[in-house]
Amino acid sequence: MENELLRLKQEAEEALGGVQNPAQLEAFRVKYLGRKGGLLTGVLRQLGAVSPEDRPRLGQLANDIKQAIEGRFDEKKELLGSALQAGASGAVDLSLPGRFLPFGKLHPVTQVMEEICSIFEGLGFAVAEGPDVESDYYNFEALNIPKHHPARDMHDTFYVTDSILLRTHTSPMQARIMEKQDPPLRYIAPGKVYRCDSDITHTPMFHQVEGFLVDKEVSFADLKGVLTSFTHKMFEKELALRFRPSFFPFTEPSAEVDIACVICGGSGCRVCKRTGWLEILGSGLIDPEVLKMVGYDPDVYSGFAFGLGVERIAMLKYGIDDIRLYYENDLRFLSQF
Amino acid sequence: MKFTLSWLNQFISTEGYTAAQISDRLTMLGLEVDSVEELFVDLIPIVVARVTEVSKHPDADKLTVCSVDNGEEVVQVVCGAPNVRAGMWTAIAQPGVKLPDGTKIKKSKVRGVVSAGMLCSARELGLNSDHSGILDLEGQTAAGLPLIDALGLRDTVIEVDLTPNRPDCASVRGIAREVSSFVGGTVKSLVDRITPLSGREVGYEVVIRDPELCPRYTARKLSNVVIGPSPMWMQQQLTAVGMRPINNIVDITNYVMLESGQPLHAFDFTTLKGGKIIVRRPENGETSIATLDGSQRQLDPDMLLICDAERPIAVAGVMGGLETEIADSTTTILIESACFNPVSIRRTARKLGIPSEASYRFERGVDPNLADAALERAVNLMALYAGATADPDGVDVYPGNITAVKLQLRIGKVCSLLGMTLSRDQVAGFLESIEFHVVAIDEATLEVTVPSFRVDIEREIDLIEEVARLVGYNEIPTSLPSIRMDYPKRDELRELRQEAARILLAQGFFEAINYSFVAESHLNLCRLSADDPRRRVTRLLNPLSEEQAVMRSMLLPGLLENVRRNINFQRPDVRLFETGKTFLQEQEGALPEEQMYLCAVLTGLRFPEGESLYYSGLESDFLDVKGVAVNLLQTLRRTAVSGESLFQVKPELVQPYCDPACAVVIMTDDTVVGSLGAVHPETLKGFGVKQPVYFVEINLHKLLTLEKKAKQFVALPKYPSVKRDISLVVPDAVPAGNLLQAVRSQSHKHLESVEIFDVYRGKPIREGCKSVALSLTYRSATSTLDDQSVDKVHEKIVKSLMADFNARYREGSEV
Repeated sequence: MENELLRLKQEAEEALGGVQNPAQLEAFRVKYLGRKGGLLTGVLRQLGAVSPEDRPRLGQLANDIKQAIEGRFDEKKELLGSALQAGASGAVDLSLPGRFLPFGKLHPVTQVMEEICSIFEGLGFAVAEGPDVESDYYNFEALNIPKHHPARDMHDTFYVTDSILLRTHTSPMQARIMEKQDPPLRYIAPGKVYRCDSDITHTPMFHQVEGFLVDKEVSFADLKGVLTSFTHKMFEKELALRFRPSFFPFTEPSAEVDIACVICGGSGCRVCKRTGWLEILGSGLIDPEVLKMVGYDPDVYSGFAFGLGVERIAMLKYGIDDIRLYYENDLRFLSQF
Repeated sequence: MKFTLSWLNQFISTEGYTAAQISDRLTMLGLEVDSVEELFVDLIPIVVARVTEVSKHPDADKLTVCSVDNGEEVVQVVCGAPNVRAGMWTAIAQPGVKLPDGTKIKKSKVRGVVSAGMLCSARELGLNSDHSGILDLEGQTAAGLPLIDALGLRDTVIEVDLTPNRPDCASVRGIAREVSSFVGGTVKSLVDRITPLSGREVGYEVVIRDPELCPRYTARKLSNVVIGPSPMWMQQQLTAVGMRPINNIVDITNYVMLESGQPLHAFDFTTLKGGKIIVRRPENGETSIATLDGSQRQLDPDMLLICDAERPIAVAGVMGGLETEIADSTTTILIESACFNPVSIRRTARKLGIPSEASYRFERGVDPNLADAALERAVNLMALYAGATADPDGVDVYPGNITAVKLQLRIGKVCSLLGMTLSRDQVAGFLESIEFHVVAIDEATLEVTVPSFRVDIEREIDLIEEVARLVGYNEIPTSLPSIRMDYPKRDELRELRQEAARILLAQGFFEAINYSFVAESHLNLCRLSADDPRRRVTRLLNPLSEEQAVMRSMLLPGLLENVRRNINFQRPDVRLFETGKTFLQEQEGALPEEQMYLCAVLTGLRFPEGESLYYSGLESDFLDVKGVAVNLLQTLRRTAVSGESLFQVKPELVQPYCDPACAVVIMTDDTVVGSLGAVHPETLKGFGVKQPVYFVEINLHKLLTLEKKAKQFVALPKYPSVKRDISLVVPDAVPAGNLLQAVRSQSHKHLESVEIFDVYRGKPIREGCKSVALSLTYRSATSTLDDQSVDKVHEKIVKSLMADFNARYREGSEV
């Protein structure tokens, strides 16, 4: 009798667990709890046949089991009932679009610029911004580009007067900061720059991030190390990198930095002009003339500087193929990033 | 700078190196290769053929039917050339071949006769302009040989993007010097021997009046010159590097310039007056010269001229004069090979707007020691290819005779700047590989003599760069600098901008970036008065267009243009903001005042996403932009002078581009920080926008000056609050917000907050009035409030509102 009760309890619990709809629940009720022919009811009825000394104990057990099963039955009923109700009043159509409050996005150029800045800020660089309308002195002279230097050909300059212009690069910030502070220095200077050039790959305004570091015994190897770390962070993988001699009047030795083409992986494509390499930044050790001009002794201090074009990096990262899209502020463009 | 591999090989053997390898090495030496192009690739499928038989075309007088041996078989070809004959060697383009001009050869019938290919003229093959007949390849013996090999035309053109510091590489020989640093071997000289030039009894005289601007002038006279075409090989080299062949004399001067880097000029000697060449600046009112491109050039007092005894005959180093130009009938010429001051040439070429191959080289620096060798080379070529007889002597005036630059190079400095260890002998070896002369002074120092062609090397650091590029930048190790730790300075304005951007993004605004230069007409569209400070714009001297002629003095116009663009592209629901600089030219000739502004615009639906499904018909209005502004300022914790509202209606301060009926000024204590409202309909019309646009603009510099409310914890209330609602009828003209202000501005005991929860106009409220319903919340920090104490305060507030605003309770019948 006792075994029969325990077995029945287990069987009923299992059966209840498998119930998924009201019809099954009703069948369960009839089978186990029904007044006529319910299995649990039947067992209770058999109590009369049990020996009197066992009767109180078994009676108690049978009642406990019945109550437990009834309790579980009620829980299940409630659970199914609420689901039933929802169904009846039109359940949520889960396939409908979510309802949300509008949320905007930063311009892709800002996103990339902030990313560049935050990588360098992580390396302890401070951020400073300078004027867009700049003097010829800071834009050229202080950077070892005297008047009538052929290097001025590399800069298609917008002029305001003979001696005032729109900065053609963010490098004037080197001189502006160095003449006010003593080494050690590490700064980045993001901002807008201007060149009178306009076609599918050039806009007359674009963004650069300038960076420089000055201290005792700063070497070309340090420049390579810092820019390699930056590039790997920026492109989120260990891209191959090459440093190539170049010329900037305000750095010497000067280097352009190429990364393995992010489009073709280095095998050669239209974007990298089949060279497998993409130029991403210009750099070099700060020219001793520039250091002298701000009153630093080049035999004591050395430093490196670099400048990168933000639009170009955004183009490479996001696959944008027309630079003019940046300044049309078309929501169909802005919402993609 | 373009050169061909065949030309390069005349100076240094590159055997064993492919064009790609040479390009790669040059690039890594700092001579960035821009393009590598194989020449005459179109000619590869065209082969040498022999015409074995010819017969007349049955149906055409001028056509011939030929049997042609193409090396594999004999085919039948119809030909229209007058010079075709049996036994002739020529070139055939067979079916399937594409000619350089794009013509595709097909097997076809010409007037009923099958023709399996085409015999080609030089013009059809893109070799030269000869189209008088088919190519006559007399002397060829192997039918089927690719034409490119038969003519020895296989070659590659490499273009190097030269940096301005390397004029020495603006020559094939200069490139050869760089190539020798990795292929080894010595670079061949331009000429075997140089004729000494004494200048005595040559029949003319050279005088340099301005030795500063002309350190050297050499010249030689040649007679019996026969002007004609230059040899084919020379024309091919010139054409390959993009120069048009003209005649033997001009071509030779160009050829020698490309080869050596020394620009040359040829005068018709018979046109020179007084047997004199004078190098000087303009004199006696000389104001112009006719240059050989046919135009009249204005001279200025600083330009250097080449003159004869009477007049200017050339702008030195920039362009020759028309009157002394070589003509077809010229028989006697004077060749000039000189050196000019780079800055003077650059200034002149810029001013005249005629950059030339010669001025390109002079303004970057030509080796003065090169003049005589280049002259000799030109004279030799002219003797060979123009039948010229050179005078045995010539003139060499060299007032600026330079002494070689000698520099000390500290090995320790090399190592510390590059961050690697190099021995003294390694460093010496690198420099010697590019013709620098090196002597060791001691263990740690070298004395380096710089070759005269390296005009860019003046300092120790220049030598260190040479060592670096010869070591190879990629061989230099990488390391990270060790620098004293320091907390980087924060830029407050930049942080404010970033924070403001985050707040706007969260309200659905996309960030825009517009050009800093705009059309000045924007200011009229914004209805600015004549004396508005924003009319003091910074103007560009050389704008790309009128649309980008002045620096912007406000951000709104750019954003309105963006709104129009988006509407045009069917995105009429726009929320855009920009943070950026505006420019005010406060003082002529000084840098303008740059101010950082924030401007946001919104128009169209409030919730464009899911609009029709969830939020139909909610158009943005003024209260949206006000909400944005309040939210922005509250989150930034910028506050007004205590008790004052930042948002004020001040008709006298309404911006001209703002609808006066819908304009609020953000200000405190007389400082205007910004404004918000609806864009004036006229301004909208001007920008081509046909729907209302709301804007807020804030001067971020001024915002920074506002007090920033500190974050201060307030204990959470322990006791329940009591709420009382009150409905008042006030004259319609009373701004509902004033009721709020009135309650808030006095500190009432236990009053925690007050809000408007309804504004109603219409029946049964009497016309000219409206009902404003306020909800007031009372709470005590120390006890649960009872009705009595709340009633006392509440009544007082209601009474004062009724008195101040001519208000009355809203009656039951009005509910």
